[in-house]
Amino acid sequence: MGGVAASLDLDAELMLRVRDGDGVSFAALLNKHRSPVVHFLCRMVGNQAIAEELAQDVFLRVYRSRGSYAPTAKFTTWLFRIATHTALNALRDGKHERAEESLDSVSADLPVRQIPDGRPSMEQSLVNQVKLEEVRRAVAALPAKQRAAVLMHKYEEMDYSQIASSLGCSESAVKSLLFRAYETLRASLAKMA
Amino acid sequence: MNRTICGEYAETLMEFVAGRLDTDAKARMELHVESCPACRELAAGQRAVWETLNGWKAAPAPADFDRRLYARIEREGSWWDRMLSPFRPAMLRWGLPAAAAAGLVVMAGIMVVDRSVEVRPVPEKASIQLDSLRPDQAESALEDMEMLREMNGVVRPDPAASTM
Repeated sequence: MGGVAASLDLDAELMLRVRDGDGVSFAALLNKHRSPVVHFLCRMVGNQAIAEELAQDVFLRVYRSRGSYAPTAKFTTWLFRIATHTALNALRDGKHERAEESLDSVSADLPVRQIPDGRPSMEQSLVNQVKLEEVRRAVAALPAKQRAAVLMHKYEEMDYSQIASSLGCSESAVKSLLFRAYETLRASLAKMA
Repeated sequence: MNRTICGEYAETLMEFVAGRLDTDAKARMELHVESCPACRELAAGQRAVWETLNGWKAAPAPADFDRRLYARIEREGSWWDRMLSPFRPAMLRWGLPAAAAAGLVVMAGIMVVDRSVEVRPVPEKASIQLDSLRPDQAESALEDMEMLREMNGVVRPDPAASTM
């Protein structure tokens, strides 16, 4: 937890410097959090191009909010609260429809290079691709809040309190969301196997 | 699976599978999973889900991500600058005199409005007075005027009458 605290201080300090007009600190935050935000949004909406567009919106909002920033929570929590709201709004506004289409068109926007298994054979590569498609479908089928909770828990390694703060709900609600989501995934993936 | 019995473990099962429990909590969970077939099955199933999810690697952010973001920030900044730039030098140079002049104009306007209210005639009041004059009062006033005219003739006799 010492590392977490140090990280909290560092990111919050950087953001406070951004508030005071320091562009270098903004560049440092962008460099550190760019990929996690893009990855999270890509998994949320299921489309790389839309995710990049939304990630731009997220960092633009961070920049716009610099004047009123107060380090009341961990910076990552604040950042993912913005990212989650951005994703949920996009899903509500129908931007995800294109994403769902792309899921049906068997990874049109996801090249095979995303499977990190060295030099797979053609057959192994196809198997991995199908498996990945199944995972994506199973995650995409989750309700948006459950999906966000799973993605933050699994890939961003956020704890229950951070996820709760990002989603605007209680820790017990997050535990319940996660349990239901993982159980749904287990059942979906078991059917697919 | 008996979920009512294993409820307290179900909450921490995901953290157990994720390997994020501290040593004591992990030891307790391992002990329970060993003795509870339902939780053992659940943990095994969730480990499979966890490992499957490991295979989902997201594509990296594009190389021009920062350039596009800074361009948007710049555009937004320059938009505001463009909006404010025609006014900024005038605001800095003439801000105080302009504010003072505006204040004077407003005060003068208020005074003019006040004066126009004061000099405005009130016709309704006059008509009320006329309406309130009774016929006998009018008759009396006419008689008074006739009497004054006769008295005037006594004091200054008609020159035409004196020549006759």
